[in-house]
Amino acid sequence: MASEKIRKVVEMSGISIDLRVGKGRGRKSWSLSRLGTRFWSWFWFILGALYFLLPLYATLNFSLRMERDVIGFKAYIRAFEDPEFLKTFLYSNVLALLTIVASIILIVPTAYWIRLRLPEARRIVEFITLLPFVVPAIILVFGLIRIYSSPIKIPFTDATLFQPLTTFEVGTDILIVAGYMVLGLPYMYRSVDTGMRTVDVRTLTEAAQSLGASWFTIIVRVILPNIRAALLSGALLTFAIVVGEVTLASFLGVPAFGPYLFLLGQHRAYEPAALSFASFLLTWVAMGLIQLFTGGQGQAAGAH
Amino acid sequence: MAQTALNPKGVSPSADWKKWLGVTPFFLFAILFLILPSLRLFIGSFTTEEGQFSLANIIQLFEEKAILDAYWLSIRISAATALGGGLFGFLLAYSVTVGGLPKPLRSALITFSGVASNFAGVPLAFAFIATLGRTGFITTLIKNLFGVNLYQQTNFDLYSFAGLSLTYMYFQFPLMVLIMAPALDGLKREWREAAENLGASNFQYWMRVAFPVLLPSILGTMILLFGNAFGAYATAYALTGGRLGIITIQIGAQIRGDVHHNPGLGYAMAMGMVVVMTISLIGYSWLQKRSERWLR
Amino acid sequence: MSYLSISHVTKQFGDAVVVDNFNLDIEKGEFVSFLGPSGCGKTTTLRMVAGFEIPTSGKILLDGADITDKAPNQRNVGMIFQSYALFPNMTVAQNIGFGLRVRKESEAMIKQRVDEMVSLINLEKHANKYPYQLSGGQQQRVSLARALANRPQVLLLDEPLSALDAKIRVSLRAEIRAIQKSLGITAIFVTHDQEEALSISDRIVVMNVGEMEQVGTPFEIYNFPKTRFVANFVGSLNTADAEVVDPAKGLVSMDGVQFEAAEGTDARKKGDKVKIAVRPERFSFASEQKKANVVDCTIENITFLGAVVRIQVKIGNTKFNMDTFNNPFLELPKIGAKEQVTCSKEAVLVLDE
Repeated sequence: MASEKIRKVVEMSGISIDLRVGKGRGRKSWSLSRLGTRFWSWFWFILGALYFLLPLYATLNFSLRMERDVIGFKAYIRAFEDPEFLKTFLYSNVLALLTIVASIILIVPTAYWIRLRLPEARRIVEFITLLPFVVPAIILVFGLIRIYSSPIKIPFTDATLFQPLTTFEVGTDILIVAGYMVLGLPYMYRSVDTGMRTVDVRTLTEAAQSLGASWFTIIVRVILPNIRAALLSGALLTFAIVVGEVTLASFLGVPAFGPYLFLLGQHRAYEPAALSFASFLLTWVAMGLIQLFTGGQGQAAGAH
Repeated sequence: MAQTALNPKGVSPSADWKKWLGVTPFFLFAILFLILPSLRLFIGSFTTEEGQFSLANIIQLFEEKAILDAYWLSIRISAATALGGGLFGFLLAYSVTVGGLPKPLRSALITFSGVASNFAGVPLAFAFIATLGRTGFITTLIKNLFGVNLYQQTNFDLYSFAGLSLTYMYFQFPLMVLIMAPALDGLKREWREAAENLGASNFQYWMRVAFPVLLPSILGTMILLFGNAFGAYATAYALTGGRLGIITIQIGAQIRGDVHHNPGLGYAMAMGMVVVMTISLIGYSWLQKRSERWLR
Repeated sequence: MSYLSISHVTKQFGDAVVVDNFNLDIEKGEFVSFLGPSGCGKTTTLRMVAGFEIPTSGKILLDGADITDKAPNQRNVGMIFQSYALFPNMTVAQNIGFGLRVRKESEAMIKQRVDEMVSLINLEKHANKYPYQLSGGQQQRVSLARALANRPQVLLLDEPLSALDAKIRVSLRAEIRAIQKSLGITAIFVTHDQEEALSISDRIVVMNVGEMEQVGTPFEIYNFPKTRFVANFVGSLNTADAEVVDPAKGLVSMDGVQFEAAEGTDARKKGDKVKIAVRPERFSFASEQKKANVVDCTIENITFLGAVVRIQVKIGNTKFNMDTFNNPFLELPKIGAKEQVTCSKEAVLVLDE
């Protein structure tokens, strides 16, 4: 019975199993244990595939059944036609773009400087880039609100430096972009730093200098092109974190896609499912591009 | 500029501090948006509303049953999903690396894991509602196939411990796969051959060599998964709408409106989380260092 | 009957024949090297003895028992890997005791044997260290002790010195040989380094693309290579095209310059195209009163190599290398000078074209 099942699984899988069994006793049991390993490998793989795919299938299936007895894209059309969706989605994309650009401007020179001239700062900077793991989004936004919801004063005086950031739109935008930069910091920094290590920026810089290149030329024409794969993967990861982010966005009260989707879920059924499936596809595209650029080492973020 | 750039180290003391200027923007950013906010919570948890130093908030943290329960629930969910996700993720990583599955399945699994470990928050919650909610796909399937109504005839509830754990697992085990697959690749073929050559069976090889070598990696990654679940807020909030009182949801409530009527207690709750996260990060990096030493 | 007998062993991977009809009998206590370039099948042959590969056809007998199809963990052969393959999670002592422990020997016995082994390799001070705390040479010695702890019938060494520094390589190979001799254990040593094989072995098997080229003592292999491949692969060699002039007298001609060879012409006819080969160190200047094979040459180049000075001479239209030992009083000729060089007729090898 059991062996019949094994055979079926093996046949289903469409792979050929090496049944060339040797003459000795030891050899035979070896091949059998290999066969057992294969069976369990398939078993776990199929289970994993189901875990991955069922929720996606369920979501897709549900999102296509907005109209009774008809399979159709009505939920998608409705969701995408909502002007509120367009507004929030665009806003989230702008936030993501700003976060990525600001992160690159902040992190690339820092990582470059440390590699080139300040290796003694490496430990402390790496420590700081790990801190966001210790301070989850909910704690970060808590702290940010407490600091920036009151006027910023020059220390030891009563003179106000600037108004609370949370009270005006640009201020909130600055705050949330900064928050997203913090969330993406570990991934962006690591990505850039690894990129710089693999191309050995120090030697590249020295070579460029010896050929008479200026600093501007070195950075723009030598360093950046050589770490572009790292930059892209860091950027896409940041994008994946930011676009659907809810915690910071909802506590800072910005009109972003995450809170919009959440609210939509409170009083609609099909449109949120459609948008959830679409977000999954979007994440897929981002991760697929990272794989493409980094040659297959997937990265994991944590915007949970 | 270009000429001074590659001078030998420590030409003059002034050059020494000047080169720190290069990292000032980074430190300024970190202080403003990471250190200061954390410090504010830290100081806040040790002061009264009047600004006096006090341990009252910390003490109250341990006295308030609701808060302790919230921590405990968070810890249980995180531990359960770290253990379950870790085990399942390990088995999956095993099956595509040393388990003898065809190569394309491996890259498919790794890509999928990259996506799934980043697929969280509201969309994930909705996906699970569509799957295991009251009218979800699987709920209906089980009702039609076996005539069992999950919600009435069993204790199952998506908006509970089990449901949230199942949902968290969706991003937990892929993370394990992503970290364990390279670690399993790090097992050298020669180790297996040396063990066999010395008379060990396949089982003995796994028990005495492969598994002990992987153990720091496995434990370290499980701790990482623990932290991953412990800090999660959006998924839980979107799924249960705040009904399941895990600690992040409690803190969220405290931020929205001071539900405990003591802002200091909110800070203390946040610091408590930071402490747990710190411990798990230290545990993770300690174990990671150990396994790197072995798996080089 | 010999101790380890490999007979008519062939190994195919798909269509590729990696080892073709390999036959070798090894006596108890003998140290045999498999020498050849990468891809010549030497490692595959070794792995068949270890049981990691099963021969496509043929038999392997160890002490009279057929082990051809036995699983690796069912045969008692010790293996040493190029990459050491020490278990990273175990100390030196635990690594050495591994084989005994999986055989469920008593702890007292294990401890005694481990102590013996640790002192055999002189690592008493490091017994409780982990592999990553040891140097490459120390790790390979641990790996040797680990293989020997089980008292294997045969010791297999798969390029064990290739990953080490030049100096350690030389000292460790002497140590391996000394330990092998003192224990009287049968050993097969795989290497692509001819100097290593020549210095360590009782016998050498030279292999090329899956086939055995020649089996013999280091002395035989170096001085009497049977094939061109062996002559070329072992030691350095001058070769040139030539033609048989008088098979009976052993005379061959290279562009009109005649050489007399001790053997190799008997089976040939006048006019046969052949290769002649002379090792650089067999040439010397003719002033040193040699009788046979005195030929005119021009000094082309002189290279100082340390213990040896290599002089390039042109004989006829062909350039030859000539090695002479360095000493402070050596009088070297000028470049461009006309000289006479000589070599004995035994030094002239006549090989197939």
